[in-house]
Formats: sequence, structure tokens, C-alpha cells
Amino acid sequence: MLSSKLVKILQTAALLAVSATAFGAEDHLVLNTMGEELQRNFQALKQKADPPPYFLSYEITEQQTTELSASLGVLDAKGSAKNRYLDVTVRVGDPQLDNFRRVRGDNIRFTSGTSVAIDDTPNALKERMWLETDRVYRAAAERLIKIKTNQQVKAADRDKSSDFSGEESYAHWEAPSTVALDSTRWNEDVRSLSHDFLKYPDLLSSGVDVSVQSDNRYFVNTEGTKVQHGRDFSRVTISASAKTKDGMDVSDYEYFDAADPKNLPSKAALAAAVKRVGDHVEALMTAPSAEPFVGPAIFSGRASGVFFHEIFGHRIEGHRQKDESEGQTFTRSVGEKILPEFLSVTFDPTLKKVAGIDLNGTYEYDDEGVKGQPVKAVENGILRSFLMSRSPIEGFDHSNGHGRRQPGLEVVSRQSNLLVTSTRSVTDQKLRQMLIDEIKKQNKPYGLYFEDISSGFTTTGRSGLQAFSVVPVIVYRVYADGRPDELIRGADIVGTPLASFAKILATSDKPEVFNGYCGAESGSVPVSAVSPAILISEVEIQKKDQSHDLLPLLESPLALKEVAR
Amino acid sequence: MKLTATFLLVFSVAPLGAWAAQPDAVFTAMQAELKRSMGLTLNQLDRPYYITYSVDDEHSWSASATLGGLLSSNSSDYRIPGVRVRVGDYKFDNTNWTGAGASGPRYDLRSFPLEDDPLVIRQYLWLATDSIFKGSLQSIARKRAALKSVTVTDQMPDFAPAPAFVHIADYTPIKFDQPAWAEKTRKLSAVFGDFPSLRTSSAEFTAIDSLHRFINSEGTQIRQQETAGLVELRATAQAPDGMVVRDHGVYYTHDIGHMFSEADLTRSARQIGEQVVKLAAAPIGDNYTGPVLFEGVASAQLMAEVLGRNLHISRKPVSAPGAPSQAATTDLEGRRGVRIMPEFFDVTDDPTQPLFGHEEADDEGVPGKPLTLVEKGVLKDFLRTRLPVRGYSDSNGRARLAGNYGASTPVPTNLLIRASETSSIEELKKKLIDLCQQRGLPYGIIVRKMDFPSSASLDEARKLLSGAGSSGHPVSMPLYTYRLYLDGHEELVRGERFRGINARSLKDILAAGDDKVTFDYLENGAPFALLGFGGSSAEVSVVAPSVLIDDLELSKVDDELPKLPIVPSPLTGTQTGTQTASAR
Repeated sequence: MLSSKLVKILQTAALLAVSATAFGAEDHLVLNTMGEELQRNFQALKQKADPPPYFLSYEITEQQTTELSASLGVLDAKGSAKNRYLDVTVRVGDPQLDNFRRVRGDNIRFTSGTSVAIDDTPNALKERMWLETDRVYRAAAERLIKIKTNQQVKAADRDKSSDFSGEESYAHWEAPSTVALDSTRWNEDVRSLSHDFLKYPDLLSSGVDVSVQSDNRYFVNTEGTKVQHGRDFSRVTISASAKTKDGMDVSDYEYFDAADPKNLPSKAALAAAVKRVGDHVEALMTAPSAEPFVGPAIFSGRASGVFFHEIFGHRIEGHRQKDESEGQTFTRSVGEKILPEFLSVTFDPTLKKVAGIDLNGTYEYDDEGVKGQPVKAVENGILRSFLMSRSPIEGFDHSNGHGRRQPGLEVVSRQSNLLVTSTRSVTDQKLRQMLIDEIKKQNKPYGLYFEDISSGFTTTGRSGLQAFSVVPVIVYRVYADGRPDELIRGADIVGTPLASFAKILATSDKPEVFNGYCGAESGSVPVSAVSPAILISEVEIQKKDQSHDLLPLLESPLALKEVAR
Repeated sequence: MKLTATFLLVFSVAPLGAWAAQPDAVFTAMQAELKRSMGLTLNQLDRPYYITYSVDDEHSWSASATLGGLLSSNSSDYRIPGVRVRVGDYKFDNTNWTGAGASGPRYDLRSFPLEDDPLVIRQYLWLATDSIFKGSLQSIARKRAALKSVTVTDQMPDFAPAPAFVHIADYTPIKFDQPAWAEKTRKLSAVFGDFPSLRTSSAEFTAIDSLHRFINSEGTQIRQQETAGLVELRATAQAPDGMVVRDHGVYYTHDIGHMFSEADLTRSARQIGEQVVKLAAAPIGDNYTGPVLFEGVASAQLMAEVLGRNLHISRKPVSAPGAPSQAATTDLEGRRGVRIMPEFFDVTDDPTQPLFGHEEADDEGVPGKPLTLVEKGVLKDFLRTRLPVRGYSDSNGRARLAGNYGASTPVPTNLLIRASETSSIEELKKKLIDLCQQRGLPYGIIVRKMDFPSSASLDEARKLLSGAGSSGHPVSMPLYTYRLYLDGHEELVRGERFRGINARSLKDILAAGDDKVTFDYLENGAPFALLGFGGSSAEVSVVAPSVLIDDLELSKVDDELPKLPIVPSPLTGTQTGTQTASAR
């Protein structure tokens, strides 16, 4: 079983920066050291080890982060860190059958993401690569033997494709990416922005956080690929939470992403967001509780993006199509209509920006050293392709550059930038009118408008229910009789994937971006989902599981007259 | 206004010398909020009778390196808040039961404010206290419910009152040169590059400058600067049979402005490198039963482990019906008035000595006085906290480590072991040879260093624990073990561990050296006090003479050994093994 989560409150956003400037042997030191040690280990293992490896790769992920946060005008966290993690891949056997063969959904993990020197010191780097290669080789050899035994005692899998695809090799080098947080601006800004939340005395927690991260990746394999590339992420998060009298936790947040922190919004724009978040939470505290409901709804573009990421994106990840423990919703559907014919879905790691926003799921090479490629997954409602790593499936022999991971975990196929496009698009105003018409047609008291969503969750496993859930933060009841929209709290959307697609009636004409981090077997990877708003004829919401804690017993110190700032 | 008044009042009762009294907005906010929190009440339920707040401002610097390359380099500033609430009364409260620590509401608390804004600090303490108070009410209710079906044999109060203690000192921030120390760490780690047969090696330093603040509802107020610095050097190698051998040097100081000389550390790194190479080439020891000489630091390490860790009495918490009993007893429980060492030994624990274990007051705000633990070989007293234990109802200020179920764990401060009859090391060696001759043993054993605190990995420690079998509290492995042959020559051996050594073995001490070795370490409660394990730790200094102990048992380690790497080290370029990982 697999579960995944798209969470926006975690750090960062995206774009590939970096330009190749002058470089010499000195600048290639890490990559060259990796290449030398890779070849030395590969040659020695081929000679002396039984079974010998047929493929080796090393990947070093370098992450440099700086964070700064404040609450109520006071700094409460600051820090920076630089780390390098090493992932070693050893394949023994042959591409047809190797140590990465999945046996009934078991979790494969050889690599450890061990820390390596952050200085460019060849001996320090080599020693760690040597020991890790030895450890990973032994685990790989042991597993291959187990798999071969297993092959003989179990029925053959339906998918006869091999375990590793042949790909062309790449050589690419970029100067390491580095961005810095302008501490003069942000020390002052996080303080003064977070200070504005003092206007909302009922908040129990609030804050403004800013973070910047540079990711640099160094990758070499025994097929000759040698790539060094990187990108930067920066994000401002504005958040607040409170408790209602009946104990329900209510919260809201907004965040802003830019590859380069210089492109983060102005202070005035952020101050407006602080006000929106504060107003929202205050309104949520007195908003009526959601009641179980089935009826028509509009998902904002951001909410729709998460919806597609969960119920569609995860189900077309290539490796799930040959894992017998997976639900395999779409495995046999290539060439068939799976979405309304006015919808198309593309995954494009090469796309950097939509609607002026840097996308989080952009990268040049994936974690198997394969160039990221646009994938037309659905064209006019028809399923065309899956997201592929170097693990082939029936009918798809090659990677399309979607093999991704967090350091320390094994690569599987993952999403990049998901883009929903539509040929049945109308203006926001028209879409709203269509919702009202639908409410009347279905004779419902109201419809719903999901303005923002915090995260989602889906299960794709065969043993569990094929379902998804997304957690909305800001939801309105939309009345057909002209009454103003009414904010409600505590609604969860539930449903089953296939049924939901058929109910999409139309979309707006304005794409919106949701940047986030997606968690699955291979860990947390930055992704984005871009979609116009969608009108759905039927959505089901349930009451959120809520706490029944009392409010704090004593008065807030903020309300005490004796305390002067 | 009102706050300022409280603040002045507080300082007017502080002893004169201690109050050049810097203004401290955090301290003031803590006091105001603590006073308010004592008024917490919910319906007719138990009320708080004891609250403590602590806020530690920490500035830390660290770096680690291997073979001349930094693995990490950090400096950070943060504040660690601590809030404790006891509801009920000293006799019966929410602690000392296995369900203690029930959680209250989550208020999405962020990190503690880094700046001195009284309002924001009070906001944090307000929410934290509210949540812990509600959790404590749940705990005490469940404890009462559990007591409906279990009977507690020892009717002791849950908490001992303590007189108010006030200690307010100024804080002078320390300027620490992080880049310089990162560079020193690189250089130190590069020393191991001269020993290409090592498997792994590293150098690491940490320095912390902190301002500790503590107040409780009994009137105790502590504000003092605490500093600590340490350097760790480690190396491992693999013997031809695959056994991983190790050595390490750990150096502690309170004076982080002048941490250790680079020349000394470089020498130490070189010695460790040489020693590990020798160990890898040394023969495996045999099973041995007979006298063992713990020479120099090995004796102090042994005392830290078998004596220092057993000088307290455990108390069984109330547990839910049917739940297994929770407390492991210590080796010395119930032995007050009994001789546990030879008559010529005295043991005191003295926090007032200017050694690494020096401290003004413990984690519960109780100042420690010099304490006679063993007099003429007879056990006189125990290290105690505010948790009443059988035979004792008050604390002697040794609560130094976080414990379980709301209690603290007692840890020694400066543990001073003195012998009134001593011999020179040469005489001790002669005694060892004489004993071996009498017993027909071909050699005696000298241990010169123990693996305590241990640089073993968690996995290795787990293996050691299970390998030690049923002996209860396994003792660290010896790092430097020598055979002393009857003709006086010595031979280094590897791969042995003690069997059945414990506090009772101290009775079998035959003689003590005329030396006095000081051994500093950080006690963290982990098995073998594993280096770098967990967050909370207490500084301890042990001073002891070398000791000759009779009838100890050493046995050969017979764990499965890892194979040698198939590919030779990139540092040697020579061939090592030629094995394969073929199927078993």
C-alpha cells in the first residue's frame, strides 16, 4: 500500500537558476572524484565479486538552507545549515532481472543517504563512497539471491518487462547554485509583518517564516553519465491558528514561492496576506460547522491542482503499474478515455513558470541522471503515457526523466509539474453561474466553493480502499438565491477516484499554481500542480475529526493591562 | 509597573555578592507568569501546588570533519523552555506513575521567542502551562483510577519539599571563534590520513555557552552562566579476521574561551591512530579468570560505571493494573551500613570542588553539598533527588538528568575515591605477577582504558547488551587490554569483554595505586553512556587511584564478524581481501 501527501506548509518553491560560467578542473573536483572512485570500485567488484555488479551510480545531494521566523514581532527561529548526502546504487544480475525487482510490493532500500564531507576533499569523499559501495553491494547481492529463489517458488508476474532500462548517457555541468537570504531586509520584515497579528487577540499561534534553499546534485554512473546541476527555492509562509469555543482547531496560511528570494513579494503584498490570514481565522472562529453534504461544487485552481495530483497523478506513476500489490487503476487503460474529453494533463519538469509563479517541480535531470522530459499523460481525455523512471513497464521501455527521490531512499517514478488544461473553459463569473444553475437543477439548498486546500492524501494499494481525501481550509457555501457566500469550518472532502473524474463539468480559463512537497515511497520531493478552477456536479464532504479541548483557562497575557511592551 | 516591583523585591532578598543583577526581561516574565499560573483552576479538580519554569539561552558552535574535510559546521542560538506542573499535593500528585505525562491540548506552539519581549514570552508560557496543567489533571485522574485496583506496598509521598534557594549571577557572553575551530577540526581529522589502514576516523568539537534560568513556586530562583566544550577524536580499523577495533579520545572543559591546545590534540589524534593500527594487528585475547589491574584512567572509568551509576535507590512507580513492573533496581540498594569496598576506601561526592562536575544547584533547584557516600569501605548514603525513596524523604541535590514519570535521575557531581593504603604502580604490577604465580596463571591482565563513554554505534551497543546475556548491567568493553607475563613483558590483545563485573566486584579490590587520575565525562543515561546520545546530560568528574581487583572474568567476544571490504581502501591502493559475497 502506498500513501502520499501533498503538503504546502512545508518549505520552499522553485525554479532552475544557475548559469554555466567559467569553469576548470577545480570546479569539477567533486564530480571527478566521484567518477574516479566509481570506476575504481566498479572494476574491482567486477573482477573480485560474485555475483559481479553490472551497474553502479553515485549521487551527492548538497543542500544549503537558511531559515528565519518571527511571531508577534519577535524572532523565534533562525538558522542555516549545509549538508551533503551520498546515495549509492549497485545493480547485480542483469537488466532483465536484478536486485531491484519488486516482489509483491516490498519496500526496497539499499542506499542510506549517508552524510559526506561538505568540503571538496577527495580523500574524505572517496573513503565514504568506498565503504558505502561495499555495504550496498553486499545488500544487493544478498537480495538478488533471495529474488532468484522467490522466482522459482511463486507464480510469474503479469508484467514481463525487465528491471532496468537502457538510456543514453548525459554530460552536463553547471556552477553550483548559491542563493543568500537578505538578512537586513528579512530580519526586519518577519518581525514587523508578524507584529501585525497582534491585531487578532484570539489567535493562539501565528508567525511569518522565510526560508531559502540551494540544492546541488552531482551524479555519475558506469554508463558514462556525469551531470552536475542545481536550483534554488525560497518561500515565505504566513500562518495563524486558533481554537473555537467548542474546541475545534481552525487555521489558515498563505505562502509565496520564488526561485530567487529577490523575487519574493514586497512587504506591502505580504502585509496584505497577513491581514487576509488573520481575517480568515477570525471569521472561521465564528463560522458554522460543516454538515455532511453531497452536491455541486467549484474547486479553485489550486484546490483542483491538489485534487488532480492525488487522484490522478499518483495513479499514473509507472512503477505502480507492475506492482501486483497496487490497485492499478489505469494500468490497462492506455488509449482509453479516462477523463472528460475537454481535459488534458501534462507533466513537465522543464517548465519554469506559470502565471508569473516559479514552479516547484522543475528540474533539469532526475535522480537517475536522465534528462527531465515533458510527458503528455492525457490528451483530450485519453490516457497516453505514464510517468517513467528507469524501471520499464509493459509498453513503456524507457524513462521520461521522472525517477526521483529524497536522499537516502531508492528512486521510483514521481510527479513533477502537473498541468491541467481544458478546452471547455469559461470565465470565473460564468463558472459561478453554472454552479448556481447546477444547484437549482439538483434542487440543493446550496453548493460549495473550495477556495483553498492545505493538503491531500490518497491510497493506491490493492489491499486498502481506493480512495482519496483532501483537506480544505477555506470553504464557502454558495446559495442559489443570491444570499452572500457563507464561510464554513471543519469540512473534509472524501471520494473514490474514478467516480470523481466523470463529474467534472467545466473549467475556468485561469490557471493557478499550487507549489508543494509530495511524499511517497521515495520520500519528499518538490512538485507543483497547475489547474484552472473546475466545476464538479457532485462532491461529498464529511465532518472533520475534531478535538474537544477547552480554551485556555486564564486570560491571555496580551489582554492584561499590566503588561506594557 | 507591578512587575517591576516584584522584580526589585526578588533581588532585595538575593545575597549581596550575587547581585550586580543585570536586568533580565525573560526572568521577569517567567516570574509574573508563574505567579499567575499558580491560580489555575478547573471546576473542583486538583490545583497546581508546584510549578517550575526554566529558560536556557544557548549559543552553540560545532563542527565535525574526516580526513581533512568538514562534514558539518554549525553555530546556532536558541532558547529551551521547561515547564513543569504538579497538581494535588506533595503527598499525592500526578507524577510517579506510568501514565504520567498525559498530553494536554496542542496550541501549535512555535519555538520559544529568541528576543526579550515580555509579552510574547508570557504568551508562550501561558499556553504551555495551560496545556501541561490540563494534561496533569488527566494523569492524576487516571492514577487515582488505577489505584482502585492495585495496592502500593510503599506508602511514600510523591515529592519532597525543599527550601527556597536563590542564586543570581551575571552573564558575560563568550566570543567563540567558530571558523578557527572549524579549521582546527579539519587539521585534526587530517592527522588520521597518515594511517591509511584505518577504516573510519573523525574529529569533532562542540562548545556551548548558556544562560540558565530556573524558578519555582517555592521561591527558588537561579540565574547563572553555564559553559561546556568538548573535542572528540575517533578512529576504527578492521583486523584481518574482520573484527572492528576502535579508540577515541574525548576532552571536556568548562573554559570554552581557551579550549585545549592544538598541539596536545594533534598528539592525541596521532596516538589514537597508532593505537588502532596496533589493535587491528593484535591477537584476540583468551578467556581469563583472575586478578586484573585497572591502571590510570581505566580505574576511574570503571568507578564511574559500576559505582557512580549504582549509588542511588530506584522507586517503582504506580503502574496500571496488569502492566509489568517498571523500575530496575541498582546494585547497591538496601546495602546502607554494609561494607562494599575494602576498609581503606572513602568515597565522597563534592559539587563544590572546581572540577568538571562542579555545580551550584541541581535540575530541581536544590543546591548540593559535599556528601560522604562510603566511609572506611562502608556504604553511608545515596545520591538523591526530590523523589522520596525507601529510607529517605529529602533531596541532597543530585537530580541532574531527566528521569521517568516526572522524576529526575540522580547522577554524581565530582565523585572522589580515595584510598588510605596505596602502592606504586610498579608494586601493583609485582603484586599482579605474584598472584598469577601463586595461581599458576601464565599472565595477568592490565586494563589501561575502557570504552566508556563508548564511541560504539547504536547497533554495536545493542549487540553488546544482548551479548552480555543475563548479567543485568553490562559493563563497557575494555579498549586497551594487556597481558602481563610473569617475566614482566606485556602484550596487547583485542576482542575481550568482562563478564559479571558489577558494584559487588569492588569488595574484591586487593590494592590501590598511589596515583590519582581525574576522568571527566558526560552522563546521559544511555547504555555505556554512548557518545552523542540524546539531548540531556550531566557533567561528571571521577577521581580515583589505580586498583587491582581479584577474580574477574574476561571472555572472548564471539559475535559474527563483518567481512573485509572487497575493494581495497582508496587511501592504500593495496589489495586487502579477495573474498566474495557469494551465496551462503
